[in-house]
Amino acid sequence: MRIGGGSVRYICANCGYIYDPATGDPMNNIPPGTAFADLPDNWVCPLCYADKGNFDPLD
Amino acid sequence: MKPSVSSLYQAVEIAQDIPPLLIGERSNTNGSKKFRDCLLAEDFDGCLRIGLDQEAKGAQVLDLCSAYAGRDETADLTRLVKLYAESVKIPIMIDSTTPDCIEACLKLYPGRCIINSINLEDGGKTLDKVCRLAKKYGAAVVALTINAKGMAMTADEKVETARLIYQLAVGKHGLRPQDILFDPLTFTIGAGDESLLDAGIQTLEGIRLIKQELPGVFTVLGLSNISFGLPPAARKILNSVFLHQAIEQGLDAAIIDPGKILPLAQISEEDRTFCFDLIYNRGQGQEKSPLMRFIDHFAERVETAKDAESEDKRPEEVLHQKIVRGDKAGIEDILAVLLDRYPPLEIVNQILVPAMRHVGELFGKGELLLPFVLQSAEAMKKSVAWLEPHMQKLDLEEGTKILLATVQGDVHDIGKNLVDILLSNNGYKVFNIGIKVPAETIIAKARELKVDIIGLSGLLVKSAIVMQESLPQYREAGLTMPILLGGAALTSEFVATSCVPNYDAPVVYCADAFAGLKALKDFEAGRLTATVAAPKSGQPAMKPGVKDVSIDRSHPAPEPPFYGLRHVTDIDPAKLFPYVNEQALFRGRWGYRRTASSSAEEYLELTRTTIRPLYEDLKQRTLAEGLLQPKAAYGYFRCYSEGDTVYVEAGDDVMAFEFPRQSSPPHLCIADYYRSREEGGDVAAFFVVTIGERIAGETKRLFEADAYHDYLMLHGFSVEVTDALAEYWHEVMRRELGIAAEKPADMTGYVTQGYQGSRYGFGYPACPDLDAHLMLFKLLKPEAIGVTLTETMEMVPEVSTSAIIAHHPQAKYFAV
Repeated sequence: MRIGGGSVRYICANCGYIYDPATGDPMNNIPPGTAFADLPDNWVCPLCYADKGNFDPLD
Repeated sequence: MKPSVSSLYQAVEIAQDIPPLLIGERSNTNGSKKFRDCLLAEDFDGCLRIGLDQEAKGAQVLDLCSAYAGRDETADLTRLVKLYAESVKIPIMIDSTTPDCIEACLKLYPGRCIINSINLEDGGKTLDKVCRLAKKYGAAVVALTINAKGMAMTADEKVETARLIYQLAVGKHGLRPQDILFDPLTFTIGAGDESLLDAGIQTLEGIRLIKQELPGVFTVLGLSNISFGLPPAARKILNSVFLHQAIEQGLDAAIIDPGKILPLAQISEEDRTFCFDLIYNRGQGQEKSPLMRFIDHFAERVETAKDAESEDKRPEEVLHQKIVRGDKAGIEDILAVLLDRYPPLEIVNQILVPAMRHVGELFGKGELLLPFVLQSAEAMKKSVAWLEPHMQKLDLEEGTKILLATVQGDVHDIGKNLVDILLSNNGYKVFNIGIKVPAETIIAKARELKVDIIGLSGLLVKSAIVMQESLPQYREAGLTMPILLGGAALTSEFVATSCVPNYDAPVVYCADAFAGLKALKDFEAGRLTATVAAPKSGQPAMKPGVKDVSIDRSHPAPEPPFYGLRHVTDIDPAKLFPYVNEQALFRGRWGYRRTASSSAEEYLELTRTTIRPLYEDLKQRTLAEGLLQPKAAYGYFRCYSEGDTVYVEAGDDVMAFEFPRQSSPPHLCIADYYRSREEGGDVAAFFVVTIGERIAGETKRLFEADAYHDYLMLHGFSVEVTDALAEYWHEVMRRELGIAAEKPADMTGYVTQGYQGSRYGFGYPACPDLDAHLMLFKLLKPEAIGVTLTETMEMVPEVSTSAIIAHHPQAKYFAV
């Protein structure tokens, strides 16, 4: 699987929420600078709770 | 017996169901440099390969000509005829005008062939000899409309010459009308010869007159002559269009290069117009002649890589490609070619089904997206439908049978219908009995139709419970077939722990249509087993949300514009489009995901060339056809909270909306956003919105017409426009409440709730219990805008949504 660089943003196909590694995800206690690939397997979209498999690379 | 010609291996009817009879032209020293070079080099295998290649490309008869000054025509042609007769399965057309040569070939040809040709150039001497041979050996004969004065140029001369030949061949020599194929001669309209400006018209009229005046005879053309002198790409198009016109006049057979003919459907209207102008010598008054305009129009045209590709492909491969690419154009032509060689069931099992399997594999690898899978399924469906009349009834009964139903009370069927599409087009027999189906009906139908598997579907949590609780009924009814469960609220854990134990045969969780397909394959292979809960690997899903919250209890309630309910039916649908969540639509609903194998540029290109145009078109069409009828039933009510309940006052009634509370910090509950009686009470706002039932009717029509791709598109569009209406109306209500000062700048702003307050949809994570709909409907009376409830409290039509609105600045989405 082609994983983008650590700064690639990912978008939730279910609700459009954008995960930006630069800001991290405070709702799930994810610090800024965390690449998408490094998010835990049980991480979910903070808005609609869809799992990682629902996210597409945006950049 | 219908008039036919034959080889050692097969008979081919001269009058094809789909004309013309295709006679390959390339095994000819006069027409093909390649063939000539092989012959001169004594490379007879090379000569044979040219014949085999044409056969592979769909030729039904092969014209064979070896005439070359200085060579022994008889020795060459007899050798070629023997070679072809053994190795090529299709019949031969002996192309020679020398009676001795013709006779030598007829003697050793093991079948019925066509002699090409006779004419009246020498007054009939040669015609007599050849007709006697045709009579003796039972061959058919091509007759050119050439008389003692030369080639017949006008339609009248052509039919007159044909009549003279007919009188001799039939009257004098006893041939039957169907033994003759008249060739009214084709001259080029591509070289600018002034005397040939109407040559196309004369040939077409000649065909018509011959068929009319001499009933029972056949007609044939040496097609490529019409475009001699033009560049190759233009020749291909002109030949194809002229062929189509000739068939309309009654042409039965054509001598052509089978790899270089296009179905009319693949030729644009514009291209066709230039061809018609040239053929019919139209548009005289214009500055440029029809030929000059034709040449200019096609000046830049080159044979595209795709054309070149299909040149080298056998019809079996072409069909496979068409399925994989979802290309329906001209698929019947390929099927007709294949039907001549294989029984229809074999075409289905050896070519079509493997092609769909390949489609599934490509999807699994992320190389094909769902909308394209559906286009492939459409091509598959079209192919099977075309083949069906040719198949035995028994063939059609074959295949594993599956019953599909959305369970009681649930109206959602997009998932189930995608399963239907995928399974039906992978060779399975699907019985789709619709939505809101009670268990009793499913059980009865399963028995009646003797199905091998049952598939249950349902979107909401309530439906998952319905499945769980109804399985013992299936057991008691004595059913023994496996049951597949699908639905967004299901998890493999839920199915494994709560469903599997309730039934005696395997109960299997299927996350999507492709998992369902896999389950069926497993079933056929005898290895389908019940879903088991995965061992507790890793942790349960995270629970997002701020963990330390205390709600400000002093925030005042706004003053609503009115108390009570209102119905709004004049909402302008065009106003909703800015609120559509395009990313959710394109990626989530339509399945245009960016996969591991596509780059950002490729996805941008896909968006620009495919997705956006589709979306723009849908917006225009739904507006133009009045398919969007947005309506709202909404209102503001006095309320107060007490613990986990919000008490809403409506007239003399008080309705208790009880909400669940999070079990872990920050222990949120919707009731917290409303003040208690002691704190001064509050305002609760509610809505039920819908875009009307008309679009549901159109969506259903598309599904029933097997327009799978458009069905997915319209369904997804309708669901997202419904959400857009909810977003829009929520904003209207914020404005009415005077809290709309912050307005999100873009969709991301709406997605992340960059506005004051929040709306919570009943059935969604913060208030999953749909029973609240009973009270909501008493409050808002949405029946007046056409929305009703099923017995499990889901709203009908599907394109409707409801919400309670909290104005409190700290109110945001959360899950319980």
